[in-house]
Amino acid sequence: MRPENYQAVPLGDSNEYEIFIGPNHPGIEGNYALKLILDGDTVVKGTTDAGYLHRGFEKLMEGRLWIQNLAIVPRICVPDPAPMEVSYSLAVEEIMGIDAPIRAQWIRVLQLELSRIAAHLFTFGGHAATTGMYTPMYWGVADRDLVLDLFEDFTGGRVYSIYNIPGGVRRELPEGFLEKLSHLLDYLESRQNDYDNLLFTNQIFVQRAKGVGVLSKEDALEYGVTGPNLRACGLAFDVRRDDPYLIYDQLEFDIPTQQKGDAWSRILVRRDELFQSIHILRQVIAKLPSIKGPIRTAIPNPLSWNVPAGEAYARVESSKGELAYYVVSDGGDKPYRVHVRGPSSMHAVQTLEFLAKGARIEDVAQIMFSLDACPPEVDR
Amino acid sequence: MIGDQVWLLFWTLIKIVAIVLPLIIVVAYLTYAERRVIGFMQGRMGPNRVGLFGFKLWGLAQPFADTVKLLLKEIIFPANANKFLFLMAPVITLATAFAAWAVVPFSDGLVLADINAGLVYILAMTSLGVYGVIIAGWASNSKYALLGALRSAAQIVSYEIAMGFALVGVLIASGSLNLSEIVNSQSGGIGSWFFIPLFPLFIIYFISGVAETNRAPFDVAEGESEIVAGFHVEYSGAAFALFFLGEYANMIMISALTAIMFMGGWLSPFTGDSLIAQPSILWFFMKTGFFLLLYLWFRATFPRYRYDQIMRLGWKIFIPITIVWIMVVAVIKVYKPEWIGG
Repeated sequence: MRPENYQAVPLGDSNEYEIFIGPNHPGIEGNYALKLILDGDTVVKGTTDAGYLHRGFEKLMEGRLWIQNLAIVPRICVPDPAPMEVSYSLAVEEIMGIDAPIRAQWIRVLQLELSRIAAHLFTFGGHAATTGMYTPMYWGVADRDLVLDLFEDFTGGRVYSIYNIPGGVRRELPEGFLEKLSHLLDYLESRQNDYDNLLFTNQIFVQRAKGVGVLSKEDALEYGVTGPNLRACGLAFDVRRDDPYLIYDQLEFDIPTQQKGDAWSRILVRRDELFQSIHILRQVIAKLPSIKGPIRTAIPNPLSWNVPAGEAYARVESSKGELAYYVVSDGGDKPYRVHVRGPSSMHAVQTLEFLAKGARIEDVAQIMFSLDACPPEVDR
Repeated sequence: MIGDQVWLLFWTLIKIVAIVLPLIIVVAYLTYAERRVIGFMQGRMGPNRVGLFGFKLWGLAQPFADTVKLLLKEIIFPANANKFLFLMAPVITLATAFAAWAVVPFSDGLVLADINAGLVYILAMTSLGVYGVIIAGWASNSKYALLGALRSAAQIVSYEIAMGFALVGVLIASGSLNLSEIVNSQSGGIGSWFFIPLFPLFIIYFISGVAETNRAPFDVAEGESEIVAGFHVEYSGAAFALFFLGEYANMIMISALTAIMFMGGWLSPFTGDSLIAQPSILWFFMKTGFFLLLYLWFRATFPRYRYDQIMRLGWKIFIPITIVWIMVVAVIKVYKPEWIGG
């Protein structure tokens, strides 16, 4: 009955036992596995087992033209693909020594913030679903769909927009797009009350999330935690403000922080960030019509396009944390090396193992979702 | 004489069938209602396609399609599982869930067994149901199932106490263990129903009932995000269908009992001689339906409690409150009996 190579884990005389969570499990985001050693209900040791989504993105990119890689990068993180394109384009632009036109930079900010809203709506629901409440998930996915409709409108793709190109963006915004965007933002703000009533003031959810997966500021820095997870520990670090790229230095926005570092703080930071993104988008809507000009710097024929030798490291703030592309060119028509510094590999491997230790088994899935890890990004 | 007894046996069997068959149909449509109501709360459609003879009929044939599908599926036995216990577990769950219906009065005199110890019988039957869960978890030979079964056992035993104490309050107030008499002692309009003097017990009884049936927000036994489906993770086909049937029959049972104990059963909330003030089985169905709706509403809007939080709620909050309120009720019964139905 048992597989040929089955071997029981020797646990000696202790009361500990082993339980597998994943790679196919309702409490796991994507294909990802955790092996837990439990004592009663408490996790003694958690081991992550990544690699179920390994498709060799970094190696694939070395064998494809510079322009072809634009179709690969968004697939590294499905819920939040826009920062991947922008970050890759920024790195290539830096090697080439060009800058995208100002209008293209504003449009990129618009795309990035819309993508952040979509990703956070997705994460709320996932986090609530790990505690057994599925309604916010359906609401979040339904509202995210409206954002995806806008993506379809101005990029042509709902999830993988492939809208950026080194040197700018590929298309001008369609007629009347900013009005549609404005309506969507009004709608999302009107939903704030619903989400607060259902999720953020739901006493059972608050009790479930408070004090779960507590990460201190020191530990967070040691484990390389970035993004909302770091800001939930009380450190207001945001690449958009501390190392501005594109035109983020011309925008006004707050950096929401919380002090406790638990799952509840993390979801609150995401909630506040969502409304900051709406605030940023309103500034973009106000400013964008007055910025005229091209949307793209001319680049050579993509099929015979040699990027000069050099290397660049371009980082952006994705919805999960600091995302960076390290691109090396040897002067050929393909990259010599592309490295993705994804935030999820820090969050979902070492931080998750650290936080799982001592947690109750009910909370493991919640910790993983509250860290907002993205398994394909771990396996890039 | 023999003929009389045979006839009595037949008559009882007919009455049993007359209770069980509608119950199964109500269970089937409760699953349909659950999916439609929760779908509505979650902004989606729910099942609306399966109909008869080419008509969609708002998906009303969906429960039958599901039943046929489950019955036709193979029952998979896990490796090294105890087959006898594995099959006995759903039978125990279903049998206890259905047996408890024997003493439920649907209307005045409309009851299968009008026994004087009805309340005790119900407590006994609902307590026995936990064996089905424990045996299922043990016989499956799976860690997920065993974890779920242990949690469920601890939870049901804990909430049984709070539930029992809440019913002691009803017993004091009505002075009878017979369910029909409990209803009759609440006659006199909505003001005489026990949920007013026994309000804390009413709330605690219903919440404990939710916990006892392993429904959200107390569904740790099935905790999807950690132990996948808990005690019935290894079950499939007809065996799973029996668990399902038992769980939903228990839900209806708890709703019906709450209506009987605290909301006046088949009595009308109005007083007077008009048509609307007449006691009727329809009132009973409406009250039961209201509590069933609460079950679905809970599931759509509450996350699952953590296991230690459930235990804390049961032992540190519910049981003390019930004990205190029993004393209050006893004192009222002695000094001011007219406050609680005479």
